[in-house]
Amino acid sequence: MARLLAFVQSDCPTCRLIVPYLNALAKSGVPLKGISQDSEARTREFVAQTGAAFPVELDDPEWRKSKRFDVVTVPSLVVIDEDGRLLRLEPGFDKKAINEIADLFGVPPVASRYDGYPASKPGCSSRHLEVPAEGEAAPGLDAFSAGGRPAREIDLAGDDDPVEYCFRAFHDALPVVPPTRTRLDRMLLGTTRDPLEVIGRIPPCYGAATVQKIAANAVMAGCRPEMMRVLIPLVRAVCDERFNAHGVQATTQFAAPLIVINGPIRRELSFHSRQNVFSNVARANSTLGRALQLILLNLGGARPDGIDMSTLGNAGKFSFCIAENEEASPWEPLHVGRGFRPEESTVSLFAAGSPHGISEQAARTARGVLKTLTYSLATNWSYRACRAFEVFLVLSPEHVETIHRDGWTKQNVRDYLFENTGVPLRAYEGTDPGEGAALRHTYREIVIDGEPCYQKFASPESIKIVVAGGTAGKFSAMMQGWASGAKGSEMVTYPIREV
Amino acid sequence: MPVTLVSPMNDAQARAETAAARLDTLAGKTIALLDISKPGGSWLLDRLEHVLREKFGVARVVREAKPTYTKPAPAALLEKLRGADAVIEALAD
Repeated sequence: MARLLAFVQSDCPTCRLIVPYLNALAKSGVPLKGISQDSEARTREFVAQTGAAFPVELDDPEWRKSKRFDVVTVPSLVVIDEDGRLLRLEPGFDKKAINEIADLFGVPPVASRYDGYPASKPGCSSRHLEVPAEGEAAPGLDAFSAGGRPAREIDLAGDDDPVEYCFRAFHDALPVVPPTRTRLDRMLLGTTRDPLEVIGRIPPCYGAATVQKIAANAVMAGCRPEMMRVLIPLVRAVCDERFNAHGVQATTQFAAPLIVINGPIRRELSFHSRQNVFSNVARANSTLGRALQLILLNLGGARPDGIDMSTLGNAGKFSFCIAENEEASPWEPLHVGRGFRPEESTVSLFAAGSPHGISEQAARTARGVLKTLTYSLATNWSYRACRAFEVFLVLSPEHVETIHRDGWTKQNVRDYLFENTGVPLRAYEGTDPGEGAALRHTYREIVIDGEPCYQKFASPESIKIVVAGGTAGKFSAMMQGWASGAKGSEMVTYPIREV
Repeated sequence: MPVTLVSPMNDAQARAETAAARLDTLAGKTIALLDISKPGGSWLLDRLEHVLREKFGVARVVREAKPTYTKPAPAALLEKLRGADAVIEALAD
C-alpha cells in the first residue's frame, strides 16, 4: 500500500500553510507521516503551533531521508509504494497536486480552489542545500503559533469614565464602546472558536489577532456578535501576504483597505448596497469598516501619527466598507467573477484611494457612458503614469442600466475600457515631463479616436468593477489602487463560512 | 460597580535595541548600499558610491536592491549585507 511522506521545516511559511491540508488528508485515511528537517525541540514547537494532526518524525542530522528522495524544496510531498520506491514527488504548495495525491489514495479532494488561500506557493530550500551558518541560530520569532495569550484586563478606578479612559489608553480619535468583560463575552457568542486561537498577525507590527482581541475591537466599533462571522475571514484576508498590509498601512500614498461584501450575507447581516453606500448609512457597513481599522491600529500598530505615513490620509480610514448591489446588476457579481458561487458569501479587500466621482447624465448609449469613464480613468494615479496601477470602479445602477440596454456584458465593459483608455503621446512633451515619462519605453502604443496614445492599463483585469449605489443618479466612482500586483498589493477574496 | 476592560491592544512588549557602534572612519571599510527599488534611488547611490570611494577611501562597496519597495527585504538579501561595516539605504524617489 502506498504511503505519503511530507518533508517540512519549522520556519518555512509554506510548510505552515500546507499543514491544514495534510490534516485533512490524514483525517480522510491517507497513511501520512511528516519528516521534519529540524531538531526535536523545533519540531515539537512546529507541531504544537500548527496543530499538525499526523505523526511527525525527524530526519537524521545528515538529512539522509531528504537526500534519498532528492528533496530540494520544503514542503515536499513524497508518495512511496510498500517497498519504499518513489511514485511521485511534489515540491512546494500546490492545491491541484494535493488533490491529485488525494485521488491517488482514493479519497475526495481536500483543497478547495476558493478557500481564500493561493492556488500555489513556492517553498523554501531543503536544509541539506543551505549554506551552513556558524554557531547556533537564534530562536525564530513566534510568528506562527496558533494559540495566543489571554488579553490583559484593566480594572478602572470607580470614578473613571470608561469612555474617557479609552481615549487616554487606546488613543483613538473617535469615542469607542468600552470593551468591558461583559460586552466581550457577548461578542464571543458570535463564534464557536477558541478565544485564544490566533487568526492572523497584523502587519506591520504583527500583533497577534486572537479571536478575543478581534472581539474586543469589534465591541469598540459597535459590531453585533454576528459580525464575528465576517471578521474572522476579514482578518485572514488583511493578513494575506498578497494584500501586503505591511506596505498598505505604512505608505505615504492614499491607500486604505476597502472592504467589499458579496453574497447572501448582505441580507443576513443587513449590509447596505444602495444609496449612500460609501456613507454612514448602515450599522453593518460602518461598524465592520471601523472594526477593521481599530484592529489594524491596535494590533497592527500603524498609527496615523506614527508608522502610517500617509501624506493626506483617506476618510476611508474611519470606515471603508461597501456591499455590491447585486439585485440592481444584470452581471455576475464580484465574487462570482473571482471564482465563487453566487450563493456563497465573500469579503474582498482592495487597497483603494478615496472615491472620485464621475458624472455622466447626458449619454444615452453604452459607448457614451463608457467613453466618459475612460477620460476619468486616464487620470488614475497620475495622468502620465501607465500600466503599473489598478483601479476600482463602482458603477451606479443607472449607468449600468444604460450600458446593459445595449447588450454589453461586464467583460465587454472591461475590454472596452482597457482598449479605449489612454494618454496622448503629446502629453509627454516638454523639458520636465513628470511622473510616468521615465517608463515610456515599457508602455504600449495604441490609437484612440485617431490619436496615438499610451495604453493606460496593463490588462482588462487591472479594472475591477462592482455595481453599487442608489437607483437614482447617474454618478459612478473610481478609486485609484496602490502599487498593484505581486510587487505591491493584490486584491484578495475570502469566503465567509464560519459561524 | 467596578468596570473591567479587556485590552484591545497588542500586549506584546517591544524590545528596545541599541544602535550599532558608529564607525570612526570610512577608510578601508566595506560599505553596503541598499536600493529599495524606487525610481531614482540608483542615481543617488551611484553618486554616493563614487564619493565614498574617491573622497573617503572606502575599500569595498556592496550594491544590493530590494525586489520591491513595498515589502520588507527578504532574509536572503539581508544575509548578503551581513559582512558590511555599514549599510546606507536609499529610501525614496
